[in-house]
Amino acid sequence: MPFRLEKRPEPSRLMQYLTPAAAVALTMVVGAIIFSLIGYDGMGAVREIFLTPLTNAYKWQDLGVKAAPLIIIGVGLSIAYRANVWNIGAEGQYVVGGLAGTWVALATYGMSGPWILPLMVLAGVVGGMLYAAIPALLRTRLNVNEILTSLMLTYASVQLIYYLIRAPWKDPMGMGFPQTRMFAEAARLPTIIPGTIVHLGVPIALLVALVAWFIMSRSVFGYQMRVVGTAPHAARYGGFSENRTIWLAMLVSGGLAGLAGVLEVAGPFQRMVPGFPTNYGFTAIIVAFLGRLNPLGVVFAGIVMAITFVGGEVAQTTIGLPNAATGIFQAMVLFFLLGGDLLVRYRLRRVASTPATGAA
Amino acid sequence: MEIIIPILVTLVFAATPILLAALGELVVEKAGVLNLGVEGMMLVGAIAGFAGQFYTGNPYFALLCGAVAGAAVSLIFGFLTLSLSANQTATGLALTIFGTGFSALAGAPFSARPIQLMGPLFPPELATHPLWRGVFGYSAPVYFSFFMVFAIWYFLQKTRAGLILRAVGENDLSAHSIGYSVRGVRYLAVLFGGAMAGIAGACFPLLLTPQWAERMTAGRGWIAVALVVFASWRPLRLLAGAYLFGLVMTMELYAKAGGGPLSVIPSELWAALPYLATIVVLVLISIRRDASTNAPACLGKPFLPSN
Amino acid sequence: MDASMPLRLQLTGITKRFPGVLANDDVSFSVRPGEIHALLGENGAGKSTLVKMIYGIMQADAGEIRWDGAPVVVANPKAARKLGIGMVFQHFSLFEALTVLENIALGMDGTLKSRDLEVRVREVMSTYGLLLDPHRTVATLSVGERQRIEIVRALLLDPKLLIMDEPTSVLTPQEVEQLFEVLRKLAAQGCSILYISHKLHEIKALCDTATILRGGKLVATCDPKQETSRSMAEKMIGAGLKDIVRSQGRSLGAPKLAVSRLVTSKAGHFDVPVNDVSFTVRAGEIFGVAGVAGNGQNALLDALSGEVLGDDKDAVSIDGYPLGLLNTTGRRKRGLCAVPEERNGHAAVGDFTLSDNSVLTARDRLGMVIMGLINGGAAKTYTGKVIADFAVKALGPGSTAGSLSGGNLQKYIMGREILQRPSVLVVSQPTWGVDAGAAAAIHQALVDLAAEGSAIVVISQDLDELLALCDTLAVINGGRLSAAQPVGEVSVEEIGLLMGGVHGATEARDAIPA
Repeated sequence: MPFRLEKRPEPSRLMQYLTPAAAVALTMVVGAIIFSLIGYDGMGAVREIFLTPLTNAYKWQDLGVKAAPLIIIGVGLSIAYRANVWNIGAEGQYVVGGLAGTWVALATYGMSGPWILPLMVLAGVVGGMLYAAIPALLRTRLNVNEILTSLMLTYASVQLIYYLIRAPWKDPMGMGFPQTRMFAEAARLPTIIPGTIVHLGVPIALLVALVAWFIMSRSVFGYQMRVVGTAPHAARYGGFSENRTIWLAMLVSGGLAGLAGVLEVAGPFQRMVPGFPTNYGFTAIIVAFLGRLNPLGVVFAGIVMAITFVGGEVAQTTIGLPNAATGIFQAMVLFFLLGGDLLVRYRLRRVASTPATGAA
Repeated sequence: MEIIIPILVTLVFAATPILLAALGELVVEKAGVLNLGVEGMMLVGAIAGFAGQFYTGNPYFALLCGAVAGAAVSLIFGFLTLSLSANQTATGLALTIFGTGFSALAGAPFSARPIQLMGPLFPPELATHPLWRGVFGYSAPVYFSFFMVFAIWYFLQKTRAGLILRAVGENDLSAHSIGYSVRGVRYLAVLFGGAMAGIAGACFPLLLTPQWAERMTAGRGWIAVALVVFASWRPLRLLAGAYLFGLVMTMELYAKAGGGPLSVIPSELWAALPYLATIVVLVLISIRRDASTNAPACLGKPFLPSN
Repeated sequence: MDASMPLRLQLTGITKRFPGVLANDDVSFSVRPGEIHALLGENGAGKSTLVKMIYGIMQADAGEIRWDGAPVVVANPKAARKLGIGMVFQHFSLFEALTVLENIALGMDGTLKSRDLEVRVREVMSTYGLLLDPHRTVATLSVGERQRIEIVRALLLDPKLLIMDEPTSVLTPQEVEQLFEVLRKLAAQGCSILYISHKLHEIKALCDTATILRGGKLVATCDPKQETSRSMAEKMIGAGLKDIVRSQGRSLGAPKLAVSRLVTSKAGHFDVPVNDVSFTVRAGEIFGVAGVAGNGQNALLDALSGEVLGDDKDAVSIDGYPLGLLNTTGRRKRGLCAVPEERNGHAAVGDFTLSDNSVLTARDRLGMVIMGLINGGAAKTYTGKVIADFAVKALGPGSTAGSLSGGNLQKYIMGREILQRPSVLVVSQPTWGVDAGAAAAIHQALVDLAAEGSAIVVISQDLDELLALCDTLAVINGGRLSAAQPVGEVSVEEIGLLMGGVHGATEARDAIPA
């Protein structure tokens, strides 16, 4: 090998910021090549997926609406992953948050008042927290791996939707479709820019990211998450309980996923349907990593992933690229990012000429 | 007998893919690597197996396609985690996201175009009586999975190569300092795990539903990962665990088919049962005191030699 | 020895460079057949790097290795073993979950059947008096027993050169004597031994020749039997040795730290818990806990610092105030600070800046937290003071802890705790792996803190350190603590026996095999 890896004395800050951008750029280049090789219009796919949503002003509102849940969930996950708590069941907590909001909306159907929406939001957050509390309880009490439990609960949550909208919550006027009735006006999330679909969830997402950034960088809570995640032994020595941290991380990430769920069901959906789980909870995992587990970075990463979602839909109609291509591009971003992480801690050095007693 | 044998056959078919994938993951984890991309590798194996059967009609070739495809995508994981020391948990998740997207893309042209299910290994004359059907009525992957349970047990416990693999998973730095190639051993293990997951994935279209469906493995890869924990990294216990899950899934199928006492419970609950059962099983195993003592000490940790 | 025989090993101009360090600079020396050759030097002098190159784990950047007179390239450990080089590492390369025999098999390159291997292993064990059950799992063995596996593993290859890297740091004095018997027997049969150590009296007792390294360079080759310990130490350290300065005629104050019937539960599979430990440390007293590694030292530190809590509030108390149910934060507020043995990852977070590491333990005592928010300025100021007062070589409070050398990180950690002026300080292995200059500074700081009236507990495996530093000494073995004795009134032999578990009714472990 002409190059050798050499450990940097300090992790490179520059690389920390550079690798996410490089990962996106590499994905565009390699993606174009791969899709060309398997018989698609590779250049077109990259253009439609990554650029059209940005150049076409009409798509911006879509971007905001898609980015909001990704950012809200991604912020929660970034906090949990900092603490080395692997909540990958955000999709399930998102679903349960949406269901809890739906329950309030259906129970208050026919009523009106400004209290309904806050109550729904509260129910959504609590729902997400409760669903995340199961893996937290099992991990802290019985040391059961939270990756597997949170993921299994996600699969179960989807069945919960199917059951509820097939039987107890089914729309009586729905002509047999498995879905709830349309929410009443008081249970719908208002749009903030008239004439667009941009709803209240968008500014909420930005606010969540900002508050989380402040807390994570300045407070003892943020310090606790970071130190438990980086060096659990040192954290215990510093007086931070690992179990408490796991609980906090799961509740915060679950609550935020639940918040995203209730905002989605009260905003874009306005009723519970079988197609409610839209993979935001899984894509937010990529968002959290691409944002370097930093809430402000998550905002940018959320927008990038929203671009691929919106762009994927564009490419589907304009050049007939299957929807699944979006997932491949998203996974490629994560692959390149994880591979590039090496450059944060190591640098490439050209190896000097072979010494006398060097390798055989 | 007339009732039990069909149930048994369904159970065996449902358990086989999980068993195969879990056996592969067991070897990977014994080498100290945690590959959470089993679900993704299974999906890639599933579409490769489907395509192989679709174009050639030769199920053995289809299984080979699944194995090769599974091993090929596992190489992405291997390169990132072993050569570039990337975080194994995150890379495994990325592999599952990738496999889900890739299989959906590759499978799109095959939707609504059925293939032939794989036939039994032994000639039908051997399986005329229901009892013999319970013994000789299965297709090749079922017998292969039994063979692999014992082969992997023998390999790990009785061979020198197996000892080296366990040593690498137990203490990578020591194995390195004695002079074993930690990365080499782990690459081989990851490739083996990928091939087994690929075969497991190919079993879905070849043994269970001869239609292409996106995400047709439905989380079975994750259940396989959980089973390895449940089995405390022992191949024989894995066999028991996989058949337990086969039973749960068989009950689900019978409940959905309607009739009988099983249909009192909503079908959605039956569908959620394998996942909930996984959690229950993980809880039960964690209550046992010796559960984690058999875990490879280096599991999931990156290998960072000082030179 | 026969002078006409070719040299077993000859190194010429060996140089090895790491990023930012010259680990070996033009090192040349040779080893005769049957010679016991000491490689002497401080931690960081380049001894380990040098032997890693001889054993093929690393490659030199420049220089030549000759084996039995012929130049060789040792590409990897396998090649080294083929030549006849065996090595026993300081940190054993053993696999805890595997059996003794499996561990030995892994070290063998041949394809010996396990039954034949077992016969050979038993042969070697009885020849050299290295007693072990080949079918036991390593996790159940004592440190001394584990070392025997390594030695057996090396001897099975009939080595012509055996490298021993700091072999006695984990042994009791009696175990050390047995090891020396084995090594002398080997040397008499013509096997050369390269013995790496910084313990001068051992080298004087065992070795024929000593090569002394300092800062990567060879500073002297001498006959240790002709030298005094002090003269070799000065060559090893460079400058003249500094002695610890104690104020004369000081007297100890009232009892400060009281530990009463302290018990911990067994946490992990390989953990040795503390059993019924009681002692008192008075103001101004330095209390030493000696013992071989793995006899409950970690559990004792965790139980004193509050990392692991018991259910008896009176098990630990300061000035009569019970601390037994408080965690580390609560105990720090009451004046008890602690420094665990492991620096990176336990006492400090390598990826965090030094400022952030100060927040880890000093946040409450020094008011770095206001309403849940961290006062970064206060942390930075305090860290700057620690760096200045303890002469920590770091760019500043913004450097990451992981970028510091072991000795500097330890100085920072000790400074961080000592400058909080704790009324009780518990430290484990305060100078382990630290160069002599830093070790002297740390010892002086501990003595000064005690002079101010703090009670100090030092847990260490380095008996010399404890004898120099402490007023009172007790020995921990199998989780039990012996009765405390004033340092002036106890003999090394007595301590050695206690470390080996030979005291009164306590069950004797198999520290001394038949």
